[in-house]
Amino acid sequence: MSAGLKAARNGPAAILIFLVLLIVATPPVFAAKKLDGRWALTITIPESPGSSNRRTLAVTLDASPRAGSLHGRLTVTDSDGRTVIGAWRQVGKNISITYEVPCQTGDDAPCATFILIGKMKNNSGSFINAKVIVMWDSANENNPALFDTSVGSFSGERLP
Amino acid sequence: MRRTVFAILLIAVSMPGSPSTRKATAQTVEHTLAGEWVMTSSPINGATVSRMGNSLGFPERDMLFEQEGDLRSGVVLREDVGQNVRPLGSWRVRGDRFSAAFQLWCPQSDQPCGSVIMRGTFLDESRVRGTMTVFFDEKDSTRPTGYDTWIFSFRGNRVSGGSN
Repeated sequence: MSAGLKAARNGPAAILIFLVLLIVATPPVFAAKKLDGRWALTITIPESPGSSNRRTLAVTLDASPRAGSLHGRLTVTDSDGRTVIGAWRQVGKNISITYEVPCQTGDDAPCATFILIGKMKNNSGSFINAKVIVMWDSANENNPALFDTSVGSFSGERLP
Repeated sequence: MRRTVFAILLIAVSMPGSPSTRKATAQTVEHTLAGEWVMTSSPINGATVSRMGNSLGFPERDMLFEQEGDLRSGVVLREDVGQNVRPLGSWRVRGDRFSAAFQLWCPQSDQPCGSVIMRGTFLDESRVRGTMTVFFDEKDSTRPTGYDTWIFSFRGNRVSGGSN
């Protein structure tokens, strides 16, 4: 016999206690997943401003819990082992991540800031509508951002 | 004799610590944002709101930039609003230019939120100026990124005696 049926026999108070225990003990399957934790991200962006060639970056993201705040810190480590700090926020399933990309050596090498925007899937721990806004360091008076911008995409997989 | 004098001159000029190299060293200042800054913003071409009507206003902001090794973080000091209000970001410096990216603080989830990118130049070690670009989460198909975009300018002064 299930605990629920036993509780039903013992009256409303027992049912109430049972329901409270059920809520406390059950994982929040209906709540949006949180970004906290480690992720393997694959980011695809143009090679440089205006380029039709794309390049793919593999990074590891480690998002610290927000601890009751609206924002959290994270670290991003690229395939060359360079680590930078970023910031993230989440409202429901919607996440936003910003970080400064480590610049390549050489003054002419393109450098940029990334804004990752996407929605977390509830069950698979991955992202949908995952876009990367790239704001390059090259000034461009004709761009509403005053700098060259590009749009890329990203996908992710939660790491154990 | 002439050759000897020329050689001595050449050695003197290329020696470390000679007047010419000291000058060159002084000119190669390594800038850093680390420390506390007060940033004052103002509109560009009178644009006080974005195309979609979003705005951050033009407040003075107290910002703290920190560096631990290669890890560079930033926080906007907003204790005036609440003890737990700490918009977070990160930064980098390249020559006399810097870039910083912050998440906007949006307690009302039904309002558009976004991210802001600061791009600036060091005028000297205690003064910066540049522009801020805000990408709001609201869609705007007329913008290259597809998101509502707004710009304004800023000037910053290092807080003397602030943490550095």
